[in-house]
Amino acid sequence: MYDLLMAVSVLLPILSGFLLLILNGPIKRGKHEREMEIGVEALVLVNSFLAAVLIAGTGGHSGNLVLFRLYGELTVMFRLDRMGSVFAGLVSFLWPLATLYAFEYMKHESRKPMFFAFYTMTYGVTMGVALAGNLVTMYLFYEMLTFVTLPLVLYPMTKEAARASRQYLYYSIGGAAFAFIGLVCVLSFSAIGTTEFTAGGMLNPDLAGQRKNLLLLVYVLAFFGFGVKAAIFPFHDWLPKASVAPTPVTALLHAVAVVKSGAFAVLRFTYFIYGTSFLRGTWAQWVVMGAALVTITFGSTMAAKEIHLKRRLAYSTVSNLSYILFGATVMTPWGLTAALIHMVAHAFMKICAFFCAGAVMHQTEKTYIHELNGLGRKMPVTFACFTVSGLSLMGIPLFAGFISKWNLAEAALSCGADAAAAGNPGAFMPYLGVGVILYSALMTGIYMMTVSVRAFFPSLVPGGAEEAAGKETGGKEPEATDPNWMMLVPLVTFVIVIIGIGLHSEPLMRILTLIGGEAG
Amino acid sequence: MNGPEIFDLVIPGFCGMGMHLKLDGFRLVYTCIAVLMWTVSGIFSREYMSHYKNKTRYYLFFWATFAATVGVFWSADLFTTFIFFEIMSFTSYVWVAFDERKASMRAAETYLAVAVIGGMVMLMGLFLLYDLLGTLEMDEIGILAGNLPPSQRGRLYAAAGLMLFGFGAKAGCFPLHIWLPKAHPEAPAPASALLSGILTKTGVFGIIVVSCNIFGADYSWGFLVAVLGLITMFLGALLAVFSTNLKRTLACSSVSQIGFILTGIGMACLLRSVGEGNSLAVHGAFLHMMNHSLFKLVLFLCAGAVYMNLHQLELDDIRGFGRNKPVLMFAFLMGALGIGGIPLWNGYVSKTLIHESIVEYMEAAGGDLFWHAAEWVFLFTGGMTVSYMLKLFVALFVEKHPHRQAEFDALGSVKRGGSGEKRYMNTASGAALGITAAILPVLGLTPHMTMDRIAALGEGFFRMEGHAHAVEYFAFANLKGGLISIAIGVFLYVVVIRGLLMEGEGAGRHYVNRWPQWLDLENLVYRPALQASLVLSTLFCRALDSVTDGFVRILRLTTHRQLRPAREAHDTNLAAHMLGGFLDRVQKNRDGSATAALVRKEEQTRHILRLVETSFSFGLMLFCIGLCITLGYLLFMFFGR
Repeated sequence: MYDLLMAVSVLLPILSGFLLLILNGPIKRGKHEREMEIGVEALVLVNSFLAAVLIAGTGGHSGNLVLFRLYGELTVMFRLDRMGSVFAGLVSFLWPLATLYAFEYMKHESRKPMFFAFYTMTYGVTMGVALAGNLVTMYLFYEMLTFVTLPLVLYPMTKEAARASRQYLYYSIGGAAFAFIGLVCVLSFSAIGTTEFTAGGMLNPDLAGQRKNLLLLVYVLAFFGFGVKAAIFPFHDWLPKASVAPTPVTALLHAVAVVKSGAFAVLRFTYFIYGTSFLRGTWAQWVVMGAALVTITFGSTMAAKEIHLKRRLAYSTVSNLSYILFGATVMTPWGLTAALIHMVAHAFMKICAFFCAGAVMHQTEKTYIHELNGLGRKMPVTFACFTVSGLSLMGIPLFAGFISKWNLAEAALSCGADAAAAGNPGAFMPYLGVGVILYSALMTGIYMMTVSVRAFFPSLVPGGAEEAAGKETGGKEPEATDPNWMMLVPLVTFVIVIIGIGLHSEPLMRILTLIGGEAG
Repeated sequence: MNGPEIFDLVIPGFCGMGMHLKLDGFRLVYTCIAVLMWTVSGIFSREYMSHYKNKTRYYLFFWATFAATVGVFWSADLFTTFIFFEIMSFTSYVWVAFDERKASMRAAETYLAVAVIGGMVMLMGLFLLYDLLGTLEMDEIGILAGNLPPSQRGRLYAAAGLMLFGFGAKAGCFPLHIWLPKAHPEAPAPASALLSGILTKTGVFGIIVVSCNIFGADYSWGFLVAVLGLITMFLGALLAVFSTNLKRTLACSSVSQIGFILTGIGMACLLRSVGEGNSLAVHGAFLHMMNHSLFKLVLFLCAGAVYMNLHQLELDDIRGFGRNKPVLMFAFLMGALGIGGIPLWNGYVSKTLIHESIVEYMEAAGGDLFWHAAEWVFLFTGGMTVSYMLKLFVALFVEKHPHRQAEFDALGSVKRGGSGEKRYMNTASGAALGITAAILPVLGLTPHMTMDRIAALGEGFFRMEGHAHAVEYFAFANLKGGLISIAIGVFLYVVVIRGLLMEGEGAGRHYVNRWPQWLDLENLVYRPALQASLVLSTLFCRALDSVTDGFVRILRLTTHRQLRPAREAHDTNLAAHMLGGFLDRVQKNRDGSATAALVRKEEQTRHILRLVETSFSFGLMLFCIGLCITLGYLLFMFFGR
C-alpha cells in the first residue's frame, strides 16, 4: 500500500499541474480564481498529508516500486529510505506554507494558472528526486526539474528574466551532461548490475580498484555536474541572476527545492553510489572540498557587497549550499549528518529571509537595501523574523544555524585529525574549512545584520533618520504595514521551527546520526 | 577546597550539546556581585533614563543581559559559556547603540565588530579544543589536557590562544581593548557601569578557565598572560592620564585594571610552574576582579550623575560640578581611593597581593632583570592610577567652573520639596550610590575578616595549590609598594598633569588632550586593514564571478562565433566564404565585409578560369580529333596494303 503511495505523491502534483494548464483558458478570464486557489492549496495539503503518512507509516524503510523499465536494467524505481524521508519531509512541510504565501504575493499578477500549474508540478518532481530509488530515476527527475522550473524563472517576461532563464537552462543542461557521464560509468562498474542506491556504495571493489583514477575523475565530473544545481563555483552564476523570478519561486525553489535537490544528489552520489571508503583521502576528495570552500568564501563575500536584497540573499544561498557540500566532502558519517542538519536548518532560515524580503517588496515595492531605512518600526513582525533568520544564519546559539555549524566544524576537524594521522597531504583542508566557515559567519553578520540595523535603527546610517522621518511626514506614500495573515503565518512558523531546532535538536539529530551511521 | 557547591545542573540536549550549570564558591560571589550591580544600576536607571524614550527597550535588554551574564558565570562547561557569552554580546549591543547618535553608531559598530569577531575566533578555539579533548567540561579539560602527548601540545596552544583572543576581546585586553574607550562614553551611564564592571569580567572568567583549568602550571602560557597583562595595564593607564573626558578616563582605567587582573592570573600559572603555592596570585587576582567591579559601579554612576545634569563629560565643562554635593563627593572619593590602591581601602589589598606574588615569583625563580622591570611597571602603573584619579577628583570637586559655578552649586543645595527646582540626584539614587560606596572602605578596613574569606571561596575555581597564608597587609614591607605608587602618583600629577597637560593661566587654565589624534589603534590599523581586505577579497571574487561567463564569451567570440549569413551567399563560393569569414573575424571593424570583395574576386577568377578551361578543352578536342585522324590514316596505311 505504501509503495503505491510513493507513486501517488509524485504523480498527483504533476498530473494536477497538467490539468491546471488545460483549464488555463476558463480561469484566465478572471473567474474561478478563488476556486483555483482553494483547489491548489487543498491539493498541496493532501499531498503533504500523503507524504507524512508515507514517512510515518514506513518509518524510513519502504519496498521497491518499479514504475516502468526504460531499457534493460534501467528502471524508474521509487524507494523511501531515511535520507529520502528527511528531504521529502522537509519539502512537504514547506510547500503548503509557501503556496499560501504565493497566493497573497501573486494577488495582483496575471497568468496565475500557468504559474501555479508549474509551481505544483515542481512539488511532484522534487518529491521524485527525494523518493528515487536508483541513480537513473534521480537523474530523470533531476532533468525534469530543470524544465518545470524554467517557466517560473521566465514568468516576469522581461528581458532580464529571459536572459536569466536562458542561463539557467544552459547551466543545468550542461551540468546534467556531466552527471550523465557519472551515470554511465557507474553502471559499468556496478557490483549489482543496476544503479540502485546502497548505503556505503555499490561499486564493484575489484573492478573499481583497477581503474581507480578514472573513477575518481568521473566522480569529480559528476560532483560538478550535480553541483550545478547546488550552485557550486564556478557554476553558481545562474542562482543570483534567477532572483528576478517572483519571490515564492526564489524562496522555495532557489533556496530549497531545486538547489537542495542538487545538494541531495551530490550526497546520494557520494554516500550511496561511490561510498566514502572508496573516496576518502584521495585527490578527488580534496578537489571537491576545495571547490566547496572557494564557493563558501566567494558567496558570502559577494553577498556582503551586493546591494539588492534578493540578490544578496541569493549569494548567501550560494555560500550556504556549499556548507552542505562541504559536509558531503568530509566523507565521514558525521559529515553526512552535518550536511543533512544544515540542509534542514538552512531551508528554514533562508526561506524565512526570502519571504521577509518578499513581504517588503509586496508591501512597499522596495528591493534595494538602502531603501529599507526605518522600515523595521513599521513592519515589526516581518523584520523581527528577518533578524531571527539572520542571527541563525550567522550561527548564534539558540538558533538552528548554530547546531549545524557546530556539527559541520566538528565533523571537519575529526576528518582532518584522521587524515593527519594517516599522513595524508590534504589533511590541512578540513582545518582550513573550519576557518572558512567562521570567516563566512563573520560575513553573514555583515550582510544580514546591516539590513536589520538599517530597518530598526535608521539613525545609525548616514542620512537614514531624515529619510525615515521624511517618509512619515511626506505622506505621499501609503504607510507600510506588516502583511496579512497569509504571509505572516508562514513567517512565524519558520521562526518557531528555527528556534525549536536551536533549543532542542535532539530528536532530529538522532535520526540524522542514524542516517550518517548507516551510510558513512 | 572546592568550596561549597550549591547546585550542579545538567540539561542534556540544550542547543545540541547540553548545558551544564553550577554554583560554587567563586560563582556564588560573582552572582552576588551581579545582583548587587544590577540592582544599584537599576535604581539609578529610574532617574537617569526618565527623560529617554524607548525605556521599555532599555529595560528589556537590561534584564536580558543580566540573565545572560549570570548564565556565563554559572556555566560549568565552555559550551554553555559560549552560548551565554554570545547572547550577552548581542543584548548589550543595544545599550551602546541606545542613544542612536552618530558617535554611538560608530562606537556600537566597533563594539559589535569586536564582539562578533571575538566570538567567532573563540568558537574556532572551542572547535579545536573539543576535537582534541572530546569534552568541554571545565572540571575535565585540565586532566585531559595534562595527558596529551607532547606532539599535540601545539594544537592545545592554538586552541587556547584562539580562546584567549575571544575572551580577551571582551575583557579589553591589549590589543583588543579598542572598543572600551569608544563604547563607554556613548552608552548610558548605568549601562557603562555594567559594561565595565561586570561584562569585561565575563572575559576574565573565560581567561581564568583557560589559564588555570587547562594549563595550570605551564610556564609559557603564564608568561604570555602576565606580559599581556603588564602591557594592558600600562597602556590603559597611559591613555587614562592623557584623556580629558570623564567617562573615557574611567573606561581607560578599566583597561588598565583588567591588566592588573591578567597579571595576577599569569602569576598564578607562573608560580605553579616553579612549584610554589600560588595563593597570593589567586587571591590577588580574584579580589581585584571583585574590587574593580565595585569601583567601577560607583565611579560610573557618579559620572552618570554628572551627565544627567549637564549632558557633558569633558573635564573643562564639568569642572567644579561636585562642589557642595557631599553624597557625590563621598561616593567618588571612596571609589577613587579604592582604585588608587590607598591603604585602608580595598584596592590596596588586592594590588598588594598581586605585587607580592610578583616578588614571590622573583625569589623562587631567581629574579632576572625582566621581572625587576615588571615590578616597576606594576608600581609605576599604580602611580599613574593615583594620578589620573587625582586629576578627576580635583577637576570635579576642587576646581571651579569659570562661569557656571553658581548654577552648579545651586543644584546641590535645593531643599527637599523646594520650589520646583530639581536636585542633581534624587534620594533613591543617592542612597544606592552612597551605600555601595561605603562597602569599599569596610572591605578595606577588615581585610582578614572579609576579603580573605571571600578570596578563599574562589580557590577551587582557580585550582589553587598550596595553602593560603595570612598576609600582614599593614606591615611596612607590604605598605612600601603602595606608598611608592602613591608617591609616584602625586609626582606625576604635579609635574605631568598640572605641568604638561594643562594650558592657560588662572581661571582660563584648562585641560588639553595631548594624545596625538592619529595614534589610535582602531583608525590606524584595524579599520584600514579590514577595509583593504574587504576591497581585495571583493575584487578577487568579482573576478571569479565572471570566470565562467567570461570563458563562454571568449568561446563565442572565437571558435563558436555565430556568423551572420552573408547576403551574397552562394553555395558554390565555398573557399571565398571560408577565407572571407576568417578575415571578417580578424578585422572586425573594417568598412564592408571582406567576404563580398572576395566573392567578387572569386567570380572573376572563375570566369577567367572558365575561359581558359573552355579554350584549353577546345584545343584538346581539336588535338584529339587530329590524333584520331592520324590514327585512322596510320591504320589505313598499315592494313590497306
